[in-house]
Amino acid sequence: MVNPIGSRILEPFSIESPSVCRGGYSERPLKCSTSTLTQGPLTPTHSTRRVSTERPPLHQLLLKKQKGHFLGLDLQRAIRFFFASNASITIVVLAMIMLFLLREGAGFLSTYKHELEIYRRSGLEYCDLVDRPLSKQQELSSKLRRALTASMDPIIQEARARRDAAFLLKREIEEQTKLPREALESALEKEPPTTPEALKALRQQLTQATQKAANEVSVSLLFSSEEANRLRQEMAKLSPEINALPPMLTELGSVFSARDKEAKKQFAELVEASDTLEETPEPLRELLDELKEEVLATKEAAVEHFTLEEGRQKLLQAAESTHDPEEKADLRKEAEASKTPEPDYVESIKPVIERRDELIQAVAKYAKDIEIAAAGLHLDTGTEAAKKMLAQVRQQLPEHAAEMRASIEQLKAWRQDKTVSIFSVITAFFFGTNWLTNSSWQDFFGFVPLLAGSMVIALIAIVIATPLSVAAAIYTNQFASDREKEFIKPVIEFIQAIPSVVLGFIGISLVGDLIKEMSGWAWLSWLPGFPVQERLNMFNAGCLLALMAVPTMFSLAEDALNNVPQAYVDASDALGATKLQTVFRVIVPAALSGIAAAVLLGLGRVIGETMVVLLVAGNRIAIPDFSAGPGVIFQPAHTLTGIIAQELGEVSRGSAHWQALFMVGIVLFVISLGVNACARAVVRRFELPKA
Amino acid sequence: MSEPNLNPFAGDTTSSRRQEGVVRWFLRLSTTLIVMVTLAIVGHIFIKGAPITFRTEFPFVNVKFLTELPATLHVIMDKQGRAIETDVNGADAIKKQLGDQFREEKTISYSGGGILGPIVGTALLVVVSVVVALFLGVASAIYLSEYASHGKRVEMIRLAILNLAGVPSVVFGLFGLGAFVLTAPVLTDAPHERSLLVIPLLFTKLSFQGWDTCVLSGGFTLAFVILPVIITASEQCLQAVPQGFRETSMALGATRWQTIWRAVLPFATPGILTSSILGIARAAGETAPIMFTAALAFKDKLPWQKDLPALPSDAGWFAHWEQNVERFLGIFTESVQALPYHIYTLAARIPHNEYSERAQYGSVFVFLLLVASLAATSIWMRRRLRAKYRW
Repeated sequence: MVNPIGSRILEPFSIESPSVCRGGYSERPLKCSTSTLTQGPLTPTHSTRRVSTERPPLHQLLLKKQKGHFLGLDLQRAIRFFFASNASITIVVLAMIMLFLLREGAGFLSTYKHELEIYRRSGLEYCDLVDRPLSKQQELSSKLRRALTASMDPIIQEARARRDAAFLLKREIEEQTKLPREALESALEKEPPTTPEALKALRQQLTQATQKAANEVSVSLLFSSEEANRLRQEMAKLSPEINALPPMLTELGSVFSARDKEAKKQFAELVEASDTLEETPEPLRELLDELKEEVLATKEAAVEHFTLEEGRQKLLQAAESTHDPEEKADLRKEAEASKTPEPDYVESIKPVIERRDELIQAVAKYAKDIEIAAAGLHLDTGTEAAKKMLAQVRQQLPEHAAEMRASIEQLKAWRQDKTVSIFSVITAFFFGTNWLTNSSWQDFFGFVPLLAGSMVIALIAIVIATPLSVAAAIYTNQFASDREKEFIKPVIEFIQAIPSVVLGFIGISLVGDLIKEMSGWAWLSWLPGFPVQERLNMFNAGCLLALMAVPTMFSLAEDALNNVPQAYVDASDALGATKLQTVFRVIVPAALSGIAAAVLLGLGRVIGETMVVLLVAGNRIAIPDFSAGPGVIFQPAHTLTGIIAQELGEVSRGSAHWQALFMVGIVLFVISLGVNACARAVVRRFELPKA
Repeated sequence: MSEPNLNPFAGDTTSSRRQEGVVRWFLRLSTTLIVMVTLAIVGHIFIKGAPITFRTEFPFVNVKFLTELPATLHVIMDKQGRAIETDVNGADAIKKQLGDQFREEKTISYSGGGILGPIVGTALLVVVSVVVALFLGVASAIYLSEYASHGKRVEMIRLAILNLAGVPSVVFGLFGLGAFVLTAPVLTDAPHERSLLVIPLLFTKLSFQGWDTCVLSGGFTLAFVILPVIITASEQCLQAVPQGFRETSMALGATRWQTIWRAVLPFATPGILTSSILGIARAAGETAPIMFTAALAFKDKLPWQKDLPALPSDAGWFAHWEQNVERFLGIFTESVQALPYHIYTLAARIPHNEYSERAQYGSVFVFLLLVASLAATSIWMRRRLRAKYRW
């Protein structure tokens, strides 16, 4: 790892000592040497011949034309030039990275602009004006459902758990006895029928196995010991030839349905509200689906036209470049044949636009219905969780209705022939909240979900890694004994050598399960976001990235602490400060710039890391739901680096998707340069005065 | 602080000592946490992976796992509840043999066979990248350390090195894709139509059409990923050679190049090589740069086993020789499997079960063992060198 904190390591030590050999001496060997010296092991190849016993006068020496010149360079200069050009490679590479990223990605704005133009001309945008706010309805509806389930829970929970446990038991026993069971089943179906003796033997085998399994299986604690015994007895009789469920299972099932009915009765109002909310948008959806079908057909026609057009241009180009007149004519003819007219957008979506009033009315009616439903949702029953969710729904329903009403205005204002400005394309990329690819409707390349994922993960990693690695650096530098240092430093250095894909694998196979299991522990349930839904989430990725950032931050912070002048420490000691005071009031503040730079460079490393986030972050392309509070860190997300690694292999060169991924690469490149520049600026700004 | 405290203004010694103890323990705890987590991860991989790679009886390693190419694993269950593992060729025979005892067959991609292909691919990539990076890196370091030490140009180079070290690896992957896979020049008679520029030479044409995904593209991309590491390490080693060596050499009348070649490099080379091992470890461990430039998820051949049209029986020795050369060149021009990408495929692309878990932990263990032994060698040799060369 390069030590990027400024120049300490990179700057040659010899700067301070003005040395003889630095620039101050001639490129050629001195001519005053005796022949014995020049014949030694250091014999210069091209100058020995010129050594004479009599030294020529100085002016002759200077003016003498030298042999071995090439392109105006003598050998030493050429060697120097060779090394200099090699060293410049780094600059060239940096420039080339930018160049190639731009070459592949720069076309993005115009391609995306073109796509958005089609999106508008063919009326997809028009439908989305209604469709997008409408999609929130599903979210609200499912929230209401969850509220309903949560309020019914106390009544039906026990019955449901008992029923489920009993069925699970049955399945477990069946799984254990599947081999004799299958043998018996196939014997029963076989033609000609198996002999009764063989059947009997098979039956006996199965019965034995079932009894054994039933006796050995552990019954859930939900059942009293009597019930458990009864269950075991009934389970032992399981056989593929008996279709009926064991009576106890039937009983448990009926108990549950009775409870369920009772609960539904108690919360009838809520059930009804939930049903209404689900049904309300139906007429609007139907209408919208009809419209969508028509605009989609228009869009497909347009896309086909442009694909053909592209092929035609290629043919024409080929015709230009070929010399054979016959071939040229052929190619031209072929190009002419593939010519298609650009679809007439206005004509083709006219029927859609004509139904604008109908759509507006449907939206208005829907918004009204929603408001009525929201007003009717006044009951306050059930558990804490249910209350919370109900309150949210109640608050969000009017917002949803208002959004729908706002879309009416947009529908009225929408115009098919409005031009798509390049500025709006840039906005759509950098501030777009939707990254949607391979969609049958329309691809969107909005950058925000990825950036949000990357940032949240980086933040988690830095919050975890900074205190740990700074504390470790302080401890190792100031308190640890030499033997401890011998152990700590190589181990932390070793973390750097662990490949990121291995850490990602650990995240999938070990950390994910660990987090999920820990989040189930009752005494941790007060933590936000617990219990965790997804095994692979931002917190998981953040933890592993923190581990990856530790060696960088540790070694840079330790360097910074090391570089605090001894005089500071001595002065502090002389004033009677304790060790602790010296460390925290003198050494750490003096090294603060280095530590800050270490954190920044750790951040750079974390943002640029690919494999861990690709494997562990969960890869859900959506802006994290920040309304969940700190629990947001347990949601899955996608990242800038992850999206490139995941999608680039599957897209064709030159498509908007390909270019969008290169645009993301450009942004990443710029971020990394920016972080580096910040770190350098921090070091320079807060550098200690040279002692 | 063992002397009695005579300073009347000093605070309560015992409380400040207690405070120091607490803070000290907190700091120690953080350090221990990092160390323990690292050891736990390595230990976990070791415990799960070692039984797959090693055997308790002779020859003590799982030869099949280390010497076979990855393949699809077929697991055949019979009615007695036994599971037989086999490959695609053995599956039919076993099914026939089982007859009506056959119950079901499961196939698990990439989890059968061994990991020879990925190991070979990673080795090739590392060799190419290290050769390129060492050449460029050492030359740059010589310039920075021996020829020019300050000035605007050197400032710029140092800035570029710092920035290059901070570029995300996936961006290097994009760069490699754009530069080596799609643009780099090749000599060919029939340029591809996407070629950027075609320069006719005497017998052939130089076409900027790229090398396609192959070892060479991946190796060059990786070379630029590790270039900053190599430059910095080499420069440190060159700087560590005492100034007196140079001055003595100069005083004896040597040219600057002679000084570098005879008086500086011989003493810096061991250090440069050892430090470069860390670069090798890094190159072996990177996944993102080779994803689009060299690596394949699955390949059933080693790079030098390329399929070529069969020669007519009367073909001369020259034709055979030509084919052999082409096969050999496959180690540069073929795409390969690589260990890190193989692990990614196993971990992310196939459903998780006991059979795939075995392949996963086996590959991860071997991979970590390779990389860790490289890193450990580097650290150990650096210590020895430091002890050996004391000027």
